[in-house]
Amino acid sequence: MLFFSYFKDLVGQEVTVELKNDLAIRGTLHSVDQYLNIKLENTKVVDQDKYPHMLSVRNCFIRGSVVRYVQLPKDGVDVDLLHDAARREARGG
Amino acid sequence: MVAGLREFALRSGDGSGKPVLDESSGEELMHVQPSVAVALGNRPVEFPGTLYITSRKLIWLSDVDMAKGYAVDFLSISLHAVSRDPEAYSSPCIYTQIEVEEDEDDDDDSDTESTEVLDLSKIREMRLVPSDSTQLETMFDVFCECAELNPEPVDEEEEEESGHNWVFSADQMDVRGGADEDAEWQISQSPTSVIGHSNGDEGLAQPMLELQINDQRFEDAEEMVHESETKDHH
Repeated sequence: MLFFSYFKDLVGQEVTVELKNDLAIRGTLHSVDQYLNIKLENTKVVDQDKYPHMLSVRNCFIRGSVVRYVQLPKDGVDVDLLHDAARREARGG
Repeated sequence: MVAGLREFALRSGDGSGKPVLDESSGEELMHVQPSVAVALGNRPVEFPGTLYITSRKLIWLSDVDMAKGYAVDFLSISLHAVSRDPEAYSSPCIYTQIEVEEDEDDDDDSDTESTEVLDLSKIREMRLVPSDSTQLETMFDVFCECAELNPEPVDEEEEEESGHNWVFSADQMDVRGGADEDAEWQISQSPTSVIGHSNGDEGLAQPMLELQINDQRFEDAEEMVHESETKDHH
């Protein structure tokens, strides 16, 4: 549940979600659930060449299983903290 | 379960026009939205029709052609959104992206133009345009609810098995067997201490009680006789 908790803390920040089909969408993180489904607000497609029809949608829901990356704001990550937390979680601690 | 968009025309015989659901697997009808047009890919919009949202899938059935209908499982819907930008599409609609099995030679969208033979399984985008655009937020919310009801299926076996043999760090010992080759390791000051902390996983909880040491100092005295002639035994 680590990343679920981590993303909950990022709600309200701007992120870019890159899907496995190469589409990248930037928006404000509205909410996330335990399956890491992501809801974004005020979304804009980053590279409009592949999906020109999807220029801007107000709210979008992205299925967790199709996400490849979630690009975070630079100061949105304490890498060491995340590293330690991930190790603890993997050990079941 | 079928991936992607497909034809669907199974209507119940009671004259209501409602689609037949798979009740045995617990599929329920969550929402019905009448007067909805559907646009597949780049194709022109098809109307009139009714959208049925079930706990497993989306079904659009034509109101005039009883043999025409489409369905897509929520498992295949990568994303959905409320689209109100007139530059993106002429009418406010729910935009959905459908996960399609990628084919190497399948880069252009020519298959989705108005051709005689339409391969539904290659459709990557679908728009649902309600005549009443005030319904968009409700539809979006129901889509979200249903998507949440359909997480990736977890392999039962995989979930129960806890001995994944994950390695967390370079200094993790292999605590099971095979002590001979590893005998050089300095394992710990206290030979009966338990290495690591686990939450009950049998494999990891096995304590290192037996110290395997292959140190010259512990060799039998007889073998050292030729060296220790001039030394005291310790």
